[in-house]
Amino acid sequence: MAWNRAALTRREILEKCIALGSVSVVSSFPVAAVLDAFGQMEARYRRPTPPNEIGPFYKKRAPETTMLRAPGDPGMPLSVSGQVFNTRGVALSNAVVEVWQTDHLGHYDLDGYRYRAKLPVDHSSAYKFDSVMPGHYPDRVCQHVHYLATAPGHKPLVTQLYFATDPVFEGDPDRNFARDPLIHSRELVRPVMLIGDPKEIQAAVKFELVLELL
Amino acid sequence: MAPWHGLLLGFLLLLAPGSFGDSLQLVKTLTVPPEAAVQSAALSPKGDFVAAACRDGRVRLWAFPSGELRQAFDLKDQRISGVWFSSDGTLLAAGGNRGAVRIWNIPPGKLRNELNVGAAVIALAFSPDRNLLAVAPAGVPAQLWDLEIGKFMTTLPPKFAGSAAVAFSPDGKWLASADEDTVIRIYEAQTGALRASSEDFLLETFAIAFSGDSKYLYAGGADKTISAVDVASGKVARTFPKQSFVVGALRLSRDGKFLAAVYFDDKGFSNPAPVLVWDVASQSVRTTVEPGVTTNGGGFLPDGRLLVTSSAEGKLQVWAVR
Repeated sequence: MAWNRAALTRREILEKCIALGSVSVVSSFPVAAVLDAFGQMEARYRRPTPPNEIGPFYKKRAPETTMLRAPGDPGMPLSVSGQVFNTRGVALSNAVVEVWQTDHLGHYDLDGYRYRAKLPVDHSSAYKFDSVMPGHYPDRVCQHVHYLATAPGHKPLVTQLYFATDPVFEGDPDRNFARDPLIHSRELVRPVMLIGDPKEIQAAVKFELVLELL
Repeated sequence: MAPWHGLLLGFLLLLAPGSFGDSLQLVKTLTVPPEAAVQSAALSPKGDFVAAACRDGRVRLWAFPSGELRQAFDLKDQRISGVWFSSDGTLLAAGGNRGAVRIWNIPPGKLRNELNVGAAVIALAFSPDRNLLAVAPAGVPAQLWDLEIGKFMTTLPPKFAGSAAVAFSPDGKWLASADEDTVIRIYEAQTGALRASSEDFLLETFAIAFSGDSKYLYAGGADKTISAVDVASGKVARTFPKQSFVVGALRLSRDGKFLAAVYFDDKGFSNPAPVLVWDVASQSVRTTVEPGVTTNGGGFLPDGRLLVTSSAEGKLQVWAVR
């Protein structure tokens, strides 16, 4: 009889393994409780955020702030938020997230810290910042925000956030994300929500970060 | 590989045709097939060879100044990301966009070593005795290799990301890396053990060059400044006057008196930017090559002349800086 993969649940496979002796449970808790915990741990697994190049203009000692734009700054207001996890699904409230980007014209500030910040991460591992939609840097194809996320016991994550509204994708990032040769993963191109009334429209993006354990 | 990496691999300067006045003199034109556009080039330390990384996946080697094409090499099916000579000019290395490194004896052009560092080769340096090789792959720690036995020795890890430049000191004792976490690290060359770190830089350094006595490391990068780092302590000993462009490459003259710095515009790498030749002792500009043509390699000759190369369709031109 052909073994039907779909016929057995993950839990049933584990129970079978225990019955056949290929898995043994050494615990003072009932087997069912251990299997529940095993299942929950697997369900929490998150894929690590794909890394992306750091680029040439990282600047250390960025100020701790969530407001990157100054009053009256030109460009589409942008709000980015997310949470920081590790691949086991543990929220990393001790993570540090740094972001840097160009202004709306595509210029990096090398002399100061415009559009650069170290972001506080709250007790639930959430971060957010307010900025403007970055312009197109002349030597890159797509608009992007650089990220460096670190947490004790985890590999530093260097990556970039891209926007599904980028004109380069012509509305179809699934098909066109590779038009920027530096975008190796579609996952880094995030959907954009347009919120607010037409006079004060704003772009909002969610970007979850998942770090790998050391 | 990031476009800016390509620009930092070689000696880049951007000059609009015809506007460089008396600062450059054309000394040789080397021809390549139209499909083989030269991306970057290297001048051998004695000035007897020019090597070019070409877009058709080949490394071309010419005798200089005769201009005779001596050989063409390849990296199997990888694109060439850069070419480098050893400090005595007897070895030529080429790095590929997927981590291949090949090293040839020059002359006669016989393959000596072959290795892979796993990611696009950004920077490469030979130790003065040619026994060690440091290679910076894109986005990951630089690697130290023993070329005598052809074995990987160790990595040179920053806190995150990789390295933009690597260099051995002339006395062979030290290996420096300019890392993407903005730190410059000094290692014992023979072991790869970390000996000093320079944490003084807020922005990344793209180019490094040791002084002739191996006591200082000249460093230039996104802070638009050239700094002299004390190798023993890792501290910045002095800085040259800040410019309005980012430093992309550095070359020191044989006598250590002059430092050629290639600049680029951080607001667009294809914008015009100058080359300055600095007097090291006075930290003043001796020669300014105004923006004019796009060049991609070069160095000082033993007689003190500074040559730079530039590519145009179907050719590689060699210029003398007056």
